[in-house]
Amino acid sequence: MRNSHLLVAAGIMVFSVALAQEEPIVEYVPGDEGERKPLQTVIPAYPEKARRARVEGEVEVCFKVNRAGKTSRVSVRRSTNRAFEKPARDAVRASTYLPLPKDEELSGIKTCRTFRFHLAPVSIDQIEAMPL
Amino acid sequence: MNKVTTQWLKCPVVACLCLAAAIAQGQESKTVLGPTNPDLYYGAEALLAGDGEEGVRLTLLGLKRAANSRDRITGMSNLCAGYIMLEQYEIGLSYCDKVLAKNEQHWRAYSNRALAYLKLGRFEETEADLQRAESIAPNARTVKVVRSMLLDATNPVAPLIVIDDRRQAADYDEE
Repeated sequence: MRNSHLLVAAGIMVFSVALAQEEPIVEYVPGDEGERKPLQTVIPAYPEKARRARVEGEVEVCFKVNRAGKTSRVSVRRSTNRAFEKPARDAVRASTYLPLPKDEELSGIKTCRTFRFHLAPVSIDQIEAMPL
Repeated sequence: MNKVTTQWLKCPVVACLCLAAAIAQGQESKTVLGPTNPDLYYGAEALLAGDGEEGVRLTLLGLKRAANSRDRITGMSNLCAGYIMLEQYEIGLSYCDKVLAKNEQHWRAYSNRALAYLKLGRFEETEADLQRAESIAPNARTVKVVRSMLLDATNPVAPLIVIDDRRQAADYDEE
């Protein structure tokens, strides 16, 4: 997926990283006990138009996870702004979960993931000098 | 946090510039085939294609041959954009000033002048010109781009994405 960044999130608690220039700061909040554990979590790109207009939003995406850990039947359950829906859906489609052990039964319940798109102020001294 | 490069520094200047419609000249008279001022016309085309040097060269030639006030304003407006493209902001400003002296409703000149001021770090003047451009052409895309560049320069932000895998209350309600 273009402009997206791969993040291995299994077993990681809440964290915050500034990966590099222009990459988003990411915070991950793990699911409850008994939920499928993420293997690779793709981070959605912040829509440039929304960033420019200083628009923030939230999208909840629900989906099935098969035994192998692949997502399917991805749909938006709740959204505050349509601009964020496609990046969120695409991120979920490209993400994977840990495969289910053979002795565990596959749950019929959908998994849900909420994406919150925020814009954090950056202090001026963190910006590189303007080449004039 | 790592150093953050503002988005607006990477915004290609040509994408933010407004070019006056020199291309429309060919439609002024139905008895004329092609543009009435080819230098102005091809100068605008060169600028639109991102060739600042050729665009400015041709537009200067076209301006010498400008037959009417409209051509002169178009030429000066495009020179303002062209010199900004060449990062010669002071010269660009002087042409925008000339356009606005002749037509104070010329939103493209306000938008381009705002961009020149922005590149010179003159943010208060950028804001003033942007407000004028927005009042005349509130939906112009280029004006919105310059507005976002000003915001990025004065109030920069970095995307922060929270991925929350906890079940929300509504999830339980629906299952």
